[in-house]
Amino acid sequence: MKTDMSDKRWAKVYPELGTGPVPAEPYISPEYFALERERVFRRVWLNMGRVEEIPQPGDYLVRDLAVCNASIVLIRGDDGVVRGFHNVCSHRGNKVVLDERGSCRGYLTCNFHSWAYDSQGQLKWVSDEENFFDLKKSELGLTPVATDVWEGFIFVNLDPQPRESLSTYLDGVTGQLAGAGFERLALAHVYRVDERANWKIALDAQNEVYHLPFQHRASFPDVFVLKDNRYTRLLDVRFFRRHSVYSCELNPSHTVTASEELVARLDTAATRCRLPLIGDFDFYAIFPNFVILLFRGAANDFFMTYNFWPLAVDRTVWEIKIYFPPAETAGQRIGQEYAKCRLRNVLQEDAAAHETIHAGLASRAKTHVLFQDNEIQIRHFHKVLADQVGVFQEG
Amino acid sequence: MSHGSLPPSFRSLERFNAWALAKEGDRIRKRRASTMEELRELYDALMPQMEAIVAYLDQFSPAHLPEDAQRLLWLALSFVEVTSAVELYGQPEVRNGLDDPTRFRPVE
Repeated sequence: MKTDMSDKRWAKVYPELGTGPVPAEPYISPEYFALERERVFRRVWLNMGRVEEIPQPGDYLVRDLAVCNASIVLIRGDDGVVRGFHNVCSHRGNKVVLDERGSCRGYLTCNFHSWAYDSQGQLKWVSDEENFFDLKKSELGLTPVATDVWEGFIFVNLDPQPRESLSTYLDGVTGQLAGAGFERLALAHVYRVDERANWKIALDAQNEVYHLPFQHRASFPDVFVLKDNRYTRLLDVRFFRRHSVYSCELNPSHTVTASEELVARLDTAATRCRLPLIGDFDFYAIFPNFVILLFRGAANDFFMTYNFWPLAVDRTVWEIKIYFPPAETAGQRIGQEYAKCRLRNVLQEDAAAHETIHAGLASRAKTHVLFQDNEIQIRHFHKVLADQVGVFQEG
Repeated sequence: MSHGSLPPSFRSLERFNAWALAKEGDRIRKRRASTMEELRELYDALMPQMEAIVAYLDQFSPAHLPEDAQRLLWLALSFVEVTSAVELYGQPEVRNGLDDPTRFRPVE
């Protein structure tokens, strides 16, 4: 076992993060949420999906970002480049693309008056053009949104002039996951849950494993190494400016059910897919609302992503995506189904907790929340958020 | 889709044909709508057959399963679907989950 079981270890490594209580108000304040909209979500790089979702020229994907009051269309141009645009017609502001995804044969056409844009966002057709005044089609393309791709993940930045490039923004995450080869795995499952909770409550609840032996006592009590067989300890925590990763080590003597033993035996697939894990489970919190989770499998690794999309101060869509290497045998396919079901069950338990936590904080019974040493990465997130929002926060 | 036959060597499992469901959402619904007795019956019948099922399915390319083999795979996935209910929860749904578990939905 590599994990150091000592107490209060990480506060000594990262003393600048402090150890004090953290105000609860940002979880429930409509005013704070308004600031987050303007100073966070409209200013930083946000993950929209992966390039494999729009593989061919003309393939597009629409993401409605309620938190930014924006609808974004991501389209692969006939030159192969993925671009993002505001999904708004230059004529009178109608939404151009009404479906969630698709493939256009050359043009995106607005329903309202049939104005048509090519796959690079240029305005190419105006109905009854001769009846307009001083129309310059070359200046009336779709409004571009800063768009960039890192390791196959598509990000946009709604700031008309982003303060930094995606690569600078992601900081050391790019080095840590360089050449991870995420494209070798395929999107296998998507879940969405519309939660009555602040987006940070949902994210924070996932951004630690302290809760596993308790909240998941029936599902996953001892999957990671435990101090004195009771309490989780992290293998590693690293910070990359705004972002973080924590890692855990699997518990070699965790309770194994009959089906788990069986499924492990059935999966005899060869090793084809390894990911650059630090531990057996790595949780990358990419500020503000994106998470990449890497899982070590016996023969093949896999990954998941979370996007926490705020709809309101007390409402969030938690989007969960699971990516598996293509199954080469029936045993591997069944093993993937098994991993998915176990994880999905745990996440449903989490979703319930997000809502009860929100209800508790919304009562204003508590002015502050507390984080222990295993939760230092949440403390880091709140410090980054407070800096970004520009509101002083104790801690 | 769920009314076809299984491969000849697995005919004894045809009493579970209603579980040979292609979509995860349908398998989840079927689990939620079942009693623990029904879930245990499926679990007990499939558990000792899973190795034979996998050996049978591995004769084919995963992308080109014959129809009866495809149904057998779906049935095996339903076995996976019910294992946590039988082994961990003692009830068809997770413990301490959402008030309405259908709010946690697969997008298919």
